Amino acid sequence: MKLESKRNFCIIAHIDHGKSTLADRLIEMSGTVSKRDMQSQILDSMDLEREKGITIKLAPTRLIYEYNGQEYELNLIDTPGHVDFTYEVSRSLAACEGALLLVDASQGVEAQTLANTYLALDNNLEIIPIINKIDLPSARVDEVKKEIEEVIGLDAKNCPCISAKEGLNIEDVFKAIIKQIPAPSGDENGKLKCLIFDSHYDNFKGAICLIRVFDGKVKKGDKILMMQTQKVFEVTEVGIFVPTTKECDILKAGDVGYVAGSIKTISDVKVGDTITNADNPISEPLSGYKEVQPVVFCGVFPVDGAKYGELKDALDKLKLNDASLQFSPENSMALGYGFRCGFLGLLHLEIITERLEREFNLDIITTAPSVSYNVYKTNGDCLEISNPSNLPPAVEIAKIEEPVVKVNIFTPPEYVGSIMELCQDKRGEYKNMVYLDKRRVELNYRLPLGEIIYDFFDSLKSRTHGYASFDYEFDGFENADLVRVDILLNGEKCDALSMIVHKDKAYSRGRELAERLKKIIPRQLFEVPIQACIGNKIIARETISAMRKDVLAKCYGGDITRKRKLLEKQKEGKKRMRKIGSVEIPSEAFMSILKLGDDEK
Amino acid sequence: MVDVDASNLLTDKNSISIYIHIPFCERKCSYCAFVSFCLDKSEREKYINSLLDEIENFLTTKKVKTIYLGGGTPSILTKDEIFTIFAKLREKFDIDKNAEITIEVNPNSVDEEKLRAYKAVGINRISVGVQSLSNKTLKSIGRLHTKEEAIEKLKLIGKYFDNISADLILGLSGEKSVVKYAKELIKLNVKHISSYMLEIHENTKLYLEVQDKKYRPLDEKGVAKSYDKLVKFLKKRGFRQYEISNFALADYESKHNLNYWNYGEYVGFGVSAHSFLSHKRMANADTLQGYYKRERKEEKITKNMEIEERIMLGLRCYLGVDISTLRKLGYDIQKNDNYRKFLKEGEIVEYGEKFYLLSKYYKFADYYILNLLP
Repeated sequence: MKLESKRNFCIIAHIDHGKSTLADRLIEMSGTVSKRDMQSQILDSMDLEREKGITIKLAPTRLIYEYNGQEYELNLIDTPGHVDFTYEVSRSLAACEGALLLVDASQGVEAQTLANTYLALDNNLEIIPIINKIDLPSARVDEVKKEIEEVIGLDAKNCPCISAKEGLNIEDVFKAIIKQIPAPSGDENGKLKCLIFDSHYDNFKGAICLIRVFDGKVKKGDKILMMQTQKVFEVTEVGIFVPTTKECDILKAGDVGYVAGSIKTISDVKVGDTITNADNPISEPLSGYKEVQPVVFCGVFPVDGAKYGELKDALDKLKLNDASLQFSPENSMALGYGFRCGFLGLLHLEIITERLEREFNLDIITTAPSVSYNVYKTNGDCLEISNPSNLPPAVEIAKIEEPVVKVNIFTPPEYVGSIMELCQDKRGEYKNMVYLDKRRVELNYRLPLGEIIYDFFDSLKSRTHGYASFDYEFDGFENADLVRVDILLNGEKCDALSMIVHKDKAYSRGRELAERLKKIIPRQLFEVPIQACIGNKIIARETISAMRKDVLAKCYGGDITRKRKLLEKQKEGKKRMRKIGSVEIPSEAFMSILKLGDDEK
Repeated sequence: MVDVDASNLLTDKNSISIYIHIPFCERKCSYCAFVSFCLDKSEREKYINSLLDEIENFLTTKKVKTIYLGGGTPSILTKDEIFTIFAKLREKFDIDKNAEITIEVNPNSVDEEKLRAYKAVGINRISVGVQSLSNKTLKSIGRLHTKEEAIEKLKLIGKYFDNISADLILGLSGEKSVVKYAKELIKLNVKHISSYMLEIHENTKLYLEVQDKKYRPLDEKGVAKSYDKLVKFLKKRGFRQYEISNFALADYESKHNLNYWNYGEYVGFGVSAHSFLSHKRMANADTLQGYYKRERKEEKITKNMEIEERIMLGLRCYLGVDISTLRKLGYDIQKNDNYRKFLKEGEIVEYGEKFYLLSKYYKFADYYILNLLP
């Protein structure tokens, strides 16, 4: 097929604005997948994605559509909609010429709508606004059009207004794609230049690179060079997605597809890297590559210490498919052997831990998430600390830097006060506030990332009844007056409960954590003091009183089964307990740091 | 302390216990979560006929060592109903001449005529639902009798029976100690006291009253204290604490209950009654319709379950747990770290082939049981 009849595009939207539904409808109406095989939200292949209603891994697909007697090849690249995966979004945008900007007719423009639009503009994409969910009674199409024009600055006068769910006006979308998105340009006789926008791992084929070919062509037997990693592989297969993989003879300039080359480790395939021909390479790679860095860290431990090996295998397997997951062995006094894992964000963390439990059937304990601090010691050393218990003693520390992010919050005006209060409380630095229209205000703040991962999202949601949306991007490191608060249980330090907090908050957080632990830790046969301290200084104390009795006295009428079942349930609960000295504490306690402040809500 | 030989009280492989559930009540007490109904005469007749039919169809050659009529309120049964049931039992079973035969009675529904009937059919142990000897307390939990009535009936029962047990509930609102009641009961020749801590079950009237803060039971500390006081007092008066909640003068232990804890076999007749036969635990349906259709749940006891049950049952009473039996089931408890720790600290003791939880730790029995499981 000629270049003129190809279009490469993606769909960008705020979460829940209907991206996957529209993708499904496009696939269905182009006849790519028969209706019979159509499973709702076909691109979200993981159960977890379907359940959470989000797309985690990208899945491209080729659609064939006939318009005015001519066949067009439309390559749809689905993108993840969450802030954790911004880099992946930006790379898949780079593989396209155009983007469909999907906006919910009742919700209007949200934080991620804007964030994603900026990403698309950065990549010089043609952006087509589309208003979705016009079938809803609460749809306010004209207002949302105006919002798009005023807030984003795109012409929305004649944009398609659709209901992806009901299949309404989908032809308008096809028409807009064909008419407005430019055909790819590129020279198929030039030197090979491809962008890797995602990778998968296949047990038989090895790592698979999802690519967009900009110049040249690639086929089986070619020697390819990964320009960042400088690794060379021989191509064993090229193909396209329909949306499952289908081998083909050749991929040419303008095409979207995949290459496989017996690549055994997925870390050799870096998203954003450029592939060229090893025998006839280009001199400069595509711009925009960056190494993805985890920003959120936590300890992951098996509930049953004997399952350390299984946990390691599971992480290895997940890592095969998810190069952004990082982990290294960790040993905790409280939790035994486990791993310190690094994630792209909180959602990423949640997804990985859930997959460990579901797909690998592991019972795990996770510690409260932390960010990575730059710690400068008085002797001139600089350490990156992502585990609070590794923080050196205060006397050895010259200064600590914490990561800071720029935050955009979109909210109805009535919540502005409450959000400002929240940001203030989270040590935020006010930057700007814009009234976009009567219904919507954009707030800009600069906040320590450590405060974001600590219940910011939940607080925002509860303060605004879910009406606010937010988005953030990394904005460097900054000096901060931070200390480590430790927790002593019955006089013994519990390393897994240590936290790094701002000095001004140390007392209140220490007290709250002690109070919360008092609620979570069941009473023991003896009295258990809980102390929060900074260094040797005790800043808070709570006491769990001793249990007075532990007996279900009645064992009557021969109903032994009921009692045995109760016992078995307790036994299950006990398995999730950890022993610190002589004190048994339930695994939820380790996440309880995160829940601080909940009680006041 | 441990005080071992209870073997003369126990059933053996060739014997069996019988439980009969009489689910009738004049009124349901506010704390009661047992299966019981307020039934009219024809419904009662239907139930008793079904019960007789169930007994008729049960086959065993084993000798019956204990029979227990529990409820509900078995003392609602008329003397004729008692005769009918026992006629059937005597017809069907080989009942040991020294068998312990117990009936639960409530002070308000038992009378001299019924007591004579009990005596006539061979009942030799009466368990009286006294619960409290404060009229205020009795009224607050929906009991139909008064303190005076309870005392009067205990005296009457004493005229016919020697082996009398009485129930007292611990933890009722305002009842910081039940020692004064126990004292009174002993004066009335009660030989056995069962004293259960109040449990508040969902779906009971009391549960709602507690939720609505209309009823305030003692807190955990209060219950534990009243329990300690009772244990101490009864010990002084020669009552042995042979199980967490059961106290008896020598030779007045309930053989029927000991059989449950000793892993003996038993068959239960009636709605919601439980049986343990050939390593299977069975439970009759807990609705009358289900019972009439003979619906029942059945569970085969695996080795692991047996280990759990033996520890659970043996530790809660003076029978202890047999180490070699556990070993045969695949659990060498002497290698368990907690077991060694408890031994070292003197919380459990080994004696012969068995180990026992010292009675002063009964209050924490669930903790020890949980920590001694494989």
